[in-house]
Amino acid sequence: MYEVFEHTADLGLRISSPTLNGLFSEAAEALFSVIVENIDQIRTEKSFKLNIKASNLEYLLFDWLNELLYLFESEKIVANSFLVNVDSDSLSAEVYGEVLDRNRHKTDHEVKAITYHQLKVVQKQTEWMAEVILDI
Amino acid sequence: MSEKKDIYNGPLEKVSDYCWRIPKSYKPGMRVDGLIFASQKLIQEIRKDQAPEQVANVAFLPGIQYASIAMPDIHWGYGFSIGGVCATDPEEDGVICPGGIGYDINCGVRLVKTNLFYEDIQSHLKQLVKELFIEIPTGVGRSGKYKFDKKELKKLMAEGVPYLLRRGLAAERDIEYTEAGGKLDDAEPENVSERALERGAEQCGTLGSGNHFLEIQIVDKIWDPEIAAVIGIEPGQVCVMIHSGSRGLGYQVCDDALKMLRDVPAKYGIKLPDKQLACAPVDSPEGRKYIGAMRAAANFAWCNRQLLMWQTREVFESVFGQSWQQLQMNLIYDVAHNIAKFEKHEVEGKEKKVWVHRKGATRAFPPNHPEIPDMYRKIGQPVIIPGDMGRASWLMVGNAASMEKTFGTTCHGAGRMLSRTAAVKKAQGRRIDQELEEKGVLALARSWKGLAEEHPMAYKNVDDVVDVVHKAGITQKVARLRPIGVIKG
Repeated sequence: MYEVFEHTADLGLRISSPTLNGLFSEAAEALFSVIVENIDQIRTEKSFKLNIKASNLEYLLFDWLNELLYLFESEKIVANSFLVNVDSDSLSAEVYGEVLDRNRHKTDHEVKAITYHQLKVVQKQTEWMAEVILDI
Repeated sequence: MSEKKDIYNGPLEKVSDYCWRIPKSYKPGMRVDGLIFASQKLIQEIRKDQAPEQVANVAFLPGIQYASIAMPDIHWGYGFSIGGVCATDPEEDGVICPGGIGYDINCGVRLVKTNLFYEDIQSHLKQLVKELFIEIPTGVGRSGKYKFDKKELKKLMAEGVPYLLRRGLAAERDIEYTEAGGKLDDAEPENVSERALERGAEQCGTLGSGNHFLEIQIVDKIWDPEIAAVIGIEPGQVCVMIHSGSRGLGYQVCDDALKMLRDVPAKYGIKLPDKQLACAPVDSPEGRKYIGAMRAAANFAWCNRQLLMWQTREVFESVFGQSWQQLQMNLIYDVAHNIAKFEKHEVEGKEKKVWVHRKGATRAFPPNHPEIPDMYRKIGQPVIIPGDMGRASWLMVGNAASMEKTFGTTCHGAGRMLSRTAAVKKAQGRRIDQELEEKGVLALARSWKGLAEEHPMAYKNVDDVVDVVHKAGITQKVARLRPIGVIKG
C-alpha cells in the first residue's frame, strides 16, 4: 500500500507492506505513479534485472528508487510490476514495463531526484513502513 | 492523504521590522546565529513549518561566517531551507554543501525585453503562446531539438554560453548580460558522471516541469523611472521571462555528490543534525570534485536558458515576420538562484574570500560592483524575482545593504505556501486555465494537474516578499511585470 503525502514544495511517498519485498515493490510502483498518472495502462513488454548493494536498508531503498528513476530518465522506461528480493544489504529485482508512450501514458510529474530528507524504513509489529520525499 | 506539518516553536527574536534572529544558543552546535528577513505578516507564515529549524541546522556547518541567513520567501526544503544563504571560509575549515545549492544547480531566471507593446501583441497572443508551447519542449521526459554528443557536451560545460556563441546560438550581448558571463571558470566536465551526461544530452534547451515556466509579460508599473530608463523599459512594454535550470544533468550531479558524501562528514569529524546537509571541506578531494562538477552543471544551466531564449526569439520572428534584432529582443539580465560562488566579502571588518551558497536566493550586487556590466554599473545589478502566474513578477536592482547584511543576496521568488497536494485539493473541480484567462492570462500546460499545483493561491504574494527586501534596503524595486501568456510543463 502506498500514499502520497505533502511536503511544501515536493511530494512524499508513504509505503507499507507486511513484507520487506512487498515494501520495495510498492515503493517502486509509488514512484512510477508520480511520473505517470495512469500506471494501470503500462504494459509489461520489457523486463530488466537490477542488483543493488547498500550499507543499510534506507540507502538500499534510496538506491533502488534511484536506479528506477535513472531507467526512466535514460531509456524512458515506465514500469508497474516488480519482483523484488531484499536482503539486509542487497536486493535483486526484475522490473517489468515498457517505453513511455505519450498516446497512452499520461505523464504527471518530473521527479528531479530521490532525497535523503526524512528518509526512513522501519519495521512495526506486523508490517514494514517507509517514507521518502521526492524532489519535484 | 495529508500530513500535519510541524510548527516551529523555537526562538525568533525581533531584530528590526524586517529581520528576526534565531540565537546560536538555541541548539548546541550552532556556530552562528540564524537571521530571517521577513515582515511581521510573513514571519507568522514562516513559523508554520520547519524552515526556521533548517536555518538553525545550517548554522552547524564548519567555517560558516556571520550568520545562517534566510530570505522572506523561505520555505521548508531538505537540509537547507529554500531561500537560504550561507557563506563558508575555506581558511577556517569551511565546507561546500551540495544541499546548499540544491538538485537544480543554477536554476535561475532571465528577462528579455522587446520593442513591442501590449497593443502590438494583443491580436497575436493566442498564436504566440500556442507556437511557444509547440516549439519549446516542456514537461516530463521531453527531448530538445539541440543534440550534443558527449564531446560537445563537455565543451559546453567547460566554456558555458561562449561555446554557444561559437555555434551561432548566442550573441555577444547575451553573454555580457548573463551573471558571470554565462561561464564559471574552472569547471571540470570530467567530474560529471556518465549518467549525468546521459540525462543532459538531449535536455539542453528544454524547460522541464514543476515550477519552471516561460511567460510573456507586460511592464505593469514602474517604481523607479530613472533606473527603468537605464534598463530601457517602460509601462506596457512586452517582456519574456524564462525560469529553468540544469535539467537532469544538474540533478544527477547533485545526486552523485550526495552519494559520494554519505560517509564523508564522519571522515572529517563533521557533526551534522541532518543527513541532507552532507558536505565536505572545500579543500578536500571530495570538496574539489563536487565544486568542479557543480561549476560544469552551472554552465550547462546557463546554456539551457540561452537556448530557451534563442527558441523564443525564433518563435517571435516567425509570428511577427521580423528578426529578433528588429524586435530588439535583448536580454536584460540572467540570474542564478541555486548556486555557490567563491566571492570577496567583508566579514566583521575583514575582507575574506568565502563560498556563498545561495539556495533559492539571488545574487544582488550593489552599484559599482566590478562584476556588473558597464551599462548597469551605476544602478546596481538587475535582480529578477518571478512570482506566480496569476499575479506578478518583479525587476529589482541590488543595493549597498546587500553586501553588509546578506553576502550580496536577495530573495528569489514568491515562495510556496501550499504543498502540491493541498494546491490540487483546492483546485478540485475548477478550470484553472479559464480562471486565469478571465484575469487576462493565457496559460498552456501539459496537464490540468501541472496548472493546479502551480496556481496562484499556492504561493505567497510576491509583492509582500519583494516589499521586505526593498524596505530592508537589500534590493530596490524597479518595475512590476504582469503575466499575459504562460507555458508550463
